[in-house]
Amino acid sequence: MKELMLLKVPTAGEIMTTVRLATGGLGSLTGLGLEESEDCKVCVTESLLLLRHAGYLAASINFCEDDGLFVCIMGEGEIVNPAPMPEDEISAALLEALAADVKTEKREGALYRVSFRFAR
Amino acid sequence: MDDGALFQKYRETGDVSVRNEIAEKYLYIASVLAKKFAGRGVEYDDLYQIAALALIKGVERFEPEKGVKFSTFITPTITGEIKNYFRDRSRLVHLPRSVSELRARIRDAAEAITLETGKHPSAREIAVCLNLSEEEIVRAQEAGSVVSLDATVGTEEEGASFHERLAAKDDGAIERIENRDALEAAMRGFSARERALLELRFGEALSQTETAKRMGVSQMYVSRLERKLLERLRENMRKGMAE
Repeated sequence: MKELMLLKVPTAGEIMTTVRLATGGLGSLTGLGLEESEDCKVCVTESLLLLRHAGYLAASINFCEDDGLFVCIMGEGEIVNPAPMPEDEISAALLEALAADVKTEKREGALYRVSFRFAR
Repeated sequence: MDDGALFQKYRETGDVSVRNEIAEKYLYIASVLAKKFAGRGVEYDDLYQIAALALIKGVERFEPEKGVKFSTFITPTITGEIKNYFRDRSRLVHLPRSVSELRARIRDAAEAITLETGKHPSAREIAVCLNLSEEEIVRAQEAGSVVSLDATVGTEEEGASFHERLAAKDDGAIERIENRDALEAAMRGFSARERALLELRFGEALSQTETAKRMGVSQMYVSRLERKLLERLRENMRKGMAE
């Protein structure tokens, strides 16, 4: 697995477009189809939303090439005012519907890591 | 009444009002999912409609006894319907013009590569095909401000859609089509099968794959015949204008 890019970003909504553009570019770099790249953007966005609702104000996004694109997103820093939303369940189901090898990990009962893969 | 009781009642009675009550309760999921896919060149309202229909179908198919929550069950169901729509139905283009033209070129290149290789092309493959940078392809895909290709261009009287014009973007004669009478004249002599293909492709706005299924032929056949028909239309239009 080859690391392509490590981003540390706020989980704020206004940064999502930038993250989506970066994800699309990396999808292209790793040879994903356009449809898969679009799905990958959705999954990255959903993961950031889940982490924000879990109380993380920032997250690191690690993009790796592995016969496609492997993405690992982890909460960064202290947990502040976690506010799980009813839509989190939809986000989780959406990740499962779109990506492969979706894995989530919790720390002290709160989500802190999401990873998934899109095959080339 | 909780979900379990509602589904139970619907199973026992088949009462549409109960089904609708369930659907209305979960309509927010259709809305949420439609919003998440709205940046891909299809308007939110269209996606919401698809998602809502998928929700109703999901209510029909859901089996509570399997122990899965309805929201967990319905999300991939709706997502699948939306993705099918993207694959089969979307005929969309971005504005402004430069972006719309690039989107059309990307679409054409993607179709051609798909036909050749049997799989969806990457941005890199399309970039090579169009002699553009990958960045230009990715940016065009990400760009917002979209309209349907089926939307009317110009005045209502002209009645031509973006799709009709883009389909003939390399075609000087068809671009001068001012009304459907001219088009009808150009189609004189076309067989019923040829007319059916044009109707399915440009009237009903079906994909080549869907058109092929309807006609009981291969997608390759549709692609070739379509190209020939557009050539003939161009030729007929030239003749018509010369007369």
